[in-house]
Amino acid sequence: MRERIERIDPRRREVLLGYLLVLPSLLLIGGVILYPLIYNVYLGFTEVPLNPDQSPVWIGLENYETLVNSDRFWEATYNTVVFTVASALLATALGLAVALLFDRAFRGRRLARGLVLLPHVTPIIAVAFAWQFMLDPLWGNLPDFLAWLGIYESDVGLLQSRDHALQMAILFDVWRNFPFAFLLFIARLQAIPQSMYEAATIDGAGRFAQFKDIILPELKGTILIAILLRFVWEFNAFEPVWLLTRNLETLPIYAYKSAFSTYNQGLGAAIAVMLFLFQLVMVAVYMRFVGEDEL
Amino acid sequence: MTVRENVANGFRIVLDGHRRSSLLSRIGFYVATALTLLFSLYPFYVMFITSISTNESLYSRDRGVIPKSFTLEHYEVIFGSGSFPVQTYFWNSLSVALVTSVIALVVSILGAYSFTRLDYPGGTLIRRGIIVVYMLAAITLVIPLFQLLVRFDLVDTKTSLYITYTVKTLPLTLYILWNYFRSIPVEIEEAAFIDGYSRLETIARVIVPVSLPVLVAAFLFSFKIAWNEYLFASVFLQSEALYTLPIGIETLDSAFQNVWGEIMAASIITTLPIIVMFLYLEKYMVEGLTAGAVEG
Amino acid sequence: MAEQRRKPSESSSLSESSASGAVHVDGLTKQYDDVVAVSDLDLHVEPGELLVLLGPSGCGKTTTLRSIAGLEHVTDGTIHFDDEDVTRQAPQRRDVAMVFQSYALYPHKTVRGNLQFPLRKTDISGTEATERVEEIAELLEMETHLDTRPAQLSGGQRQRVAVGRALVRQPHLLCMDEPLSNLDAKLRVETRSELRQLQQRLGITTIYVTHDQEEAMSIADRIAVMNDGRIEQVGTPEDVYERPANEFVASFVGDPPMNFCDPDDVQAAGIETPQSAAGSPDTIGIRPEYIYPTDSRGEPAAGDRVEVDRPSDPVVLTVELIEPVGRAYEIQLTGHGLDLVARLRTRPDDVTEGDSSEFVFDLDRLTTFNDAGEVV
Repeated sequence: MRERIERIDPRRREVLLGYLLVLPSLLLIGGVILYPLIYNVYLGFTEVPLNPDQSPVWIGLENYETLVNSDRFWEATYNTVVFTVASALLATALGLAVALLFDRAFRGRRLARGLVLLPHVTPIIAVAFAWQFMLDPLWGNLPDFLAWLGIYESDVGLLQSRDHALQMAILFDVWRNFPFAFLLFIARLQAIPQSMYEAATIDGAGRFAQFKDIILPELKGTILIAILLRFVWEFNAFEPVWLLTRNLETLPIYAYKSAFSTYNQGLGAAIAVMLFLFQLVMVAVYMRFVGEDEL
Repeated sequence: MTVRENVANGFRIVLDGHRRSSLLSRIGFYVATALTLLFSLYPFYVMFITSISTNESLYSRDRGVIPKSFTLEHYEVIFGSGSFPVQTYFWNSLSVALVTSVIALVVSILGAYSFTRLDYPGGTLIRRGIIVVYMLAAITLVIPLFQLLVRFDLVDTKTSLYITYTVKTLPLTLYILWNYFRSIPVEIEEAAFIDGYSRLETIARVIVPVSLPVLVAAFLFSFKIAWNEYLFASVFLQSEALYTLPIGIETLDSAFQNVWGEIMAASIITTLPIIVMFLYLEKYMVEGLTAGAVEG
Repeated sequence: MAEQRRKPSESSSLSESSASGAVHVDGLTKQYDDVVAVSDLDLHVEPGELLVLLGPSGCGKTTTLRSIAGLEHVTDGTIHFDDEDVTRQAPQRRDVAMVFQSYALYPHKTVRGNLQFPLRKTDISGTEATERVEEIAELLEMETHLDTRPAQLSGGQRQRVAVGRALVRQPHLLCMDEPLSNLDAKLRVETRSELRQLQQRLGITTIYVTHDQEEAMSIADRIAVMNDGRIEQVGTPEDVYERPANEFVASFVGDPPMNFCDPDDVQAAGIETPQSAAGSPDTIGIRPEYIYPTDSRGEPAAGDRVEVDRPSDPVVLTVELIEPVGRAYEIQLTGHGLDLVARLRTRPDDVTEGDSSEFVFDLDRLTTFNDAGEVV
C-alpha cells in the first residue's frame, strides 16, 4: 500500500489529501443542508400523506396558490416584516449606543462588557420563560411598570392581542440580539486609533462632530453588516416568537404549524421555500455590498 | 417604541464624544451604564428570584420587586418528582452537546486545515460556501429534515440530534479554525515535514497543540449551540426519556398551571452551565475575535 | 519504520565526523504560474563542503534550496543525493535538515522537546537519544536552557536551538536559509564563524543561502552566485572575487563594488587598456583596492601593499570625498570622464578633498568585459 501511495506524484498526493480531509465536512453539510434544501423545494410542490409509507403526491403550484390566496399567509407576512424590520433596526441602534457607551476605559469595563452579552448567549428557552413571567398580567412586574411609564393600561394582557404580542416580541428580540451588534461595533471601535480623536480635539472638534466625522465613517460598513445579518436571521426566527407567545404568527411559525400541527408538510415546505428565497436575496445583497471577507 | 428610541437617542447625544470627563458627563455615563446593565440583567434577576421564592409570594397580587419569603422547594420538586425528571433532561442535553462538539471539532480541524493549507480546485468555492451556509436558518430545513429522518427511521433518536446539531455548528467552527490556522506560520509545519512527520502527524502533533485555546473556544461554541437548541429537538424527539432540557421545560409549562417557580428553577439549571462556559469564552467574544460567532 | 527514510550515519557520537554524501542537481526548473523562479539550474555539492547560494532577493536561491529540501515540487529536472534520485521524494523521506530564517521552532515544546522531536522519526531512541540531545545542547551552549520554551529565549538563543534541531540527527544534507539575517550585526559575525567551525567539525554537507556577500565570502568552501533564476558562477571565494565570470558577479561580490569604466575614458586617462582576442572590450573594471595614490617619487603608496608589478602611468584625479569606513578609507575620485571609488587602508597623507592628486592603477588587476561576460 505504501508503495502505491509513493508512486503517485507528490503534488497529486496533496490534492487527494486535501479532498480527503474536507470530505467529512462536505458530506455532512451536503447531506444535512444542501440536499434537504433541494428536497424542500420538491416538497413544496407536493402533498405529503400522513402515512409515512406513502410517497408525496405531486400537486404543482397548488400550495403556493393556497398561500397567496389566504389571509392567514398575508397576515403572517405582515407580522414577519414588521417584526424583522423593527427588531433589526432597533437591535442595531441599541447595540451601537451601548458600544459607544462602553468604548472608553472605566473600572469594571471587562465585567460590564461580559454582562451585557448575557441575554444573547443564554438558552432562549430560559429567557423566554422569564419574559413570559415578567409580562404575565397576573404575576408579572412589567405590565405595572409599563403602565406607570404611561405606555399601556395596567390590565392589558401584553401577550394576548396580536398587536401587543408583536410589540412585546420585538422588545424581547431586541433585548436578546442587541449584544450581537454590540460585539461587532466594539471590535470596530477598538480599531480606531486614539490619535485620531486627539487630533480632532486639538482641531477644536466637539463631541458630536467627532462622532460624525471619525466614528460614523468607520462604522458605516459594520452598521450595514449588522442590519443585513439581523434581517436574514430575524425573518427566519422561530424560537423568539414561538416561545414567548402563541398569539403571534409569523411565517416561520405558520410553516411550523402547517407541518407539525396540521400535518400539511407540503404547505409548510412551500412557506419554507419562500423563506429560503428571501434568504438568498439577502445573501446576494450582502455579498454585493460587503463581500465575504468582512465577516 | 418612541420612548425607547428617545431614550436611546438621549444616550447617544449625551455620551458621544470621548475622553472628556466633566462631572456631569461622568454621572451621565454611570447612570447610562447602570440602566444598560439593568436592562440586560433584570430578566435574569427575575429568573433567579422566582426560582427561590415561595409560592405565596409569587402568586400574591401586590408583588414588589423583592419577594417576601424564600424557599428551595421548587428545586426539590424538579429534582425529586417523577413528573419532571431534570436529571434525565440534563443528562440528555449534556451527552448530546458533548458528542456534537467532539464530532464538530474533529471534522472542523481536518476541514479547516484542508482549505487553509492545501491547494486544490474548488478550495475557494468551499470557503465561500461555508459563509453562505452559515447564514441559513433552521426553520428552512426542519421540514425536509424531518421527512428524511422518517425515511431513515431516525426520528426520536439521539443520533438525529448528533447529526443535525453537528451540521448546525460546522460553519461556525470551520470559520473559527480557518481564521486561526491562517495565522500559524507555515514554516513550523515545514520544519515538522523535514523532521520526518507526515501532514496528518503534523496536524496532530504540531497544529493541534499550538491551537489549543482556539480549539477549546470552538468546542465551547459548539456546545453552546447544541445545548441551547430548541427547534430540532422539539420536532425530532418524541419520547420523554430523550428530551433535552429546553423541551423538558416546555413540557413542564404545558403540563401544569402555575408552576413558575419550578420553571424558573429548571431555567436556572439550564442557564448555569452556559454562564460558566461563557466566563472562559468572554475574552474571545469581546475581543471581536469571533464577532458574529455568537448566533445560534 | 526503518525503511521510512535514509538511515542517519552509524556513529552515535556527534564529535566524530560522519560520512556525508554529495548532492547533484541537474536541470532544476521551478515555475509558478507565469513566473519562472529557477531555470535549468545545475549544481553539484561535494561531500562535507559548505556551498553558499549567493544572490540578490528574488534570484531564486531560496527556491532552489527549498526544492532540494523537498518543500517545493520541481517543475523539471532531477535532484540526487549520492546515487539516489530524490526528486519525487517527500521531504519527510529525504535525509535533509533545514534551518529557517525565522527559526520555526515548535512553540509548544521546550528546547529539549524541539531537539528530540526529529529523533523520534529515526532509529535513535531512549538513552541514546537523550545523550545526543545533551551533546548537541552542550555544543551550542544551550544546556542550561533545555527546559525553557522558545518564547522565553533571545533571538540568538533561538537561532542556536534551530541549528541544534537541524544537527541532532546528523542529516545527509544541511540546508540553511539566511539563518543569521535576524541577528544584530555583531552577533551575526560571531555566530557565522561558530557555524563554520561546527560544520567543519561535523563534516556535514551544507547548502547555505544568503544575500550578504561578505558572509558568503567568509564561510564558504564554494560560492554559487545566482541571478534571475540562473547560476552565474560557481567557485571558491577567491575564484569568484579575483576571476569573476561576468559583470554581475564582479559587481555583486566585493564591497565596495568593482568600478566599471568606459574604455574610451580609460584610454583618455592615459591608462593602457588590455586588448583581447575578441577585440576591444565593452567595459573595463577595477576593484577599489587596486587604485593607489602616489608618493613623492610617483610610486604607488598604499601602506603595506606596495608590490605592484605593473603600475599604470600616474593619472591625475580629483578627490571628491574621503570617507572613513570601519578600518579603511573610501575615496571618491573623478577625472577624465571617470567616476571611481578607491579603497585604502590608511589615510593618504597629502590628499585632501577638493584637491587633485596622482593615482596609479594596477594593470594586472584590470578586468575586461564584453557585452555580457569577461574576456581577459
